[in-house]
Amino acid sequence: MITLDRVCKVFSVGPVKVPALTDVSFRVAKGEFVILHGRSGAGKTTLLKLLYRAETPSEGEVAVLDRPLARLKGRGVAALRQNIGVVFQDSKLLPGRTVYENIAFVLRVLGAPRGEITERVFDALRAVGLHSRARAYPAQLSQGEAQRAALARAIVRRPALLIADEPTGNLDDEMGAEITQVIREVNAGGTTVVFATHQARLAAMLKSRVLVLDGGRLVKDK
Amino acid sequence: MIRFLVGEAFRDLRRAGRVAVSAIVLIMLSLGAVGAFLLLSDNLSNAIASWRDRLRIIVYLKQEPATGGAAALVRRVEALPGVAAVQYVSRAEALAALRRALGKEAAAAENLSGNPLPASLEVTPSREGATPEGARRLIERLAALPEADDVAGGVEWVDKLARVQRLVTLVGLGFGAVLAVAAILTVTTATTLVLHARRHETEIMRLVGAPEFTIRLPLLLQGMVQGLIGAALAVAALAIAHFFLAPRLGPLMAVALGLGEVNFLPVAHIVAIAVAGTLLGALGGFMARGRSEA
Repeated sequence: MITLDRVCKVFSVGPVKVPALTDVSFRVAKGEFVILHGRSGAGKTTLLKLLYRAETPSEGEVAVLDRPLARLKGRGVAALRQNIGVVFQDSKLLPGRTVYENIAFVLRVLGAPRGEITERVFDALRAVGLHSRARAYPAQLSQGEAQRAALARAIVRRPALLIADEPTGNLDDEMGAEITQVIREVNAGGTTVVFATHQARLAAMLKSRVLVLDGGRLVKDK
Repeated sequence: MIRFLVGEAFRDLRRAGRVAVSAIVLIMLSLGAVGAFLLLSDNLSNAIASWRDRLRIIVYLKQEPATGGAAALVRRVEALPGVAAVQYVSRAEALAALRRALGKEAAAAENLSGNPLPASLEVTPSREGATPEGARRLIERLAALPEADDVAGGVEWVDKLARVQRLVTLVGLGFGAVLAVAAILTVTTATTLVLHARRHETEIMRLVGAPEFTIRLPLLLQGMVQGLIGAALAVAALAIAHFFLAPRLGPLMAVALGLGEVNFLPVAHIVAIAVAGTLLGALGGFMARGRSEA
């Protein structure tokens, strides 16, 4: 499903080279739930961006959904992303649209048939327990609800891979646990999940494979 | 999908707000200016066509041909390139025409000692003979006739009118072009604001793998809608101005140019204005996209 082979990523800030990832290699099998743990600045977000091709590695090979990403461009990148759901620390909901419209938006831009959209949106909302808030605007939601709406938007296309970048970072423990539980359920449905968190307690609690990043290096895989 | 993209374009248009309104007004002004000059140019063109149809070249003859000689001369002139018809006017017919023209003052003609008027040929040029260059060549040929004493015709001022018409068209296009550049820049600014306002949508669209055209098309469409609205308003403003001014300007145009009425723009020009507006808007939308990607 995912293969990283000796991946390095270096950012150039003027003449200064800043290494974000150094010699990172690992594999993730289809249907796995993998936690990417590390402190802020450890390279988690950079690594996740490599997976949905928002960044390209400076060295090494990345393959996602068994597709090497090195030569992927334009339509190839779009096709890859159509099979990946991404959730961020902030929900990134569109403020002028209701929860329903936010989720339907991604189906519409991908050309889903009109007749299917309502059903699929409510399926996703039921999966995250937010179907009663479909008509609410983002400003009317709690942070937990907003994050669940963002999660519904990420899974409405039934992606093969779900990438969650600190999805509980802005939430209290209770809300964080709710979101984590929903992501667990998505994984139980067969979706591969890569879950990034800086919270050691959460990483330990999830009882899954943990990849630990430190200073851009993969220091533990357990 | 198309319905969704058109919906997004109108949503973007509402977001652009006053800047979009400014762009529409500028497009209206630029196309209105071009349209007004086109309207003037079209009517001048009608006047020129009408005058060309009525254009006659008079060949004054050195002496009246003998009986039978006139018919042979007419046939020779009719055979010249650029000639549609020839009418022979004898000295007597010329004098009779003068008397008719003098009306009540016809008695003055009685005081003439004999008939001083020469015989002449009234030559109607063909379509090619009525063009400025064609008329010049025809006059040269007519002047070269051994029977010809002098050649006169109203070609010069029709020529001048044609030059005025070309000048009006050029000024209109130049004026419109300057305003069009301003309109394009305003549409670009409006679209840039839209791009800023919809950056979250664009981010989500790229993230979920939306095809590039679904990201670009609403921007182009909202620019095109601005252009089309501007063009429609320009045509409406011209129609209103024509409705109120044409009856007042009609008599003046009749006297000055011999026009029966001041016509509105032909359908082809209205369509051209609509297409120009749409393209101006699209160009503005396209340029904003280019800037955002740079």
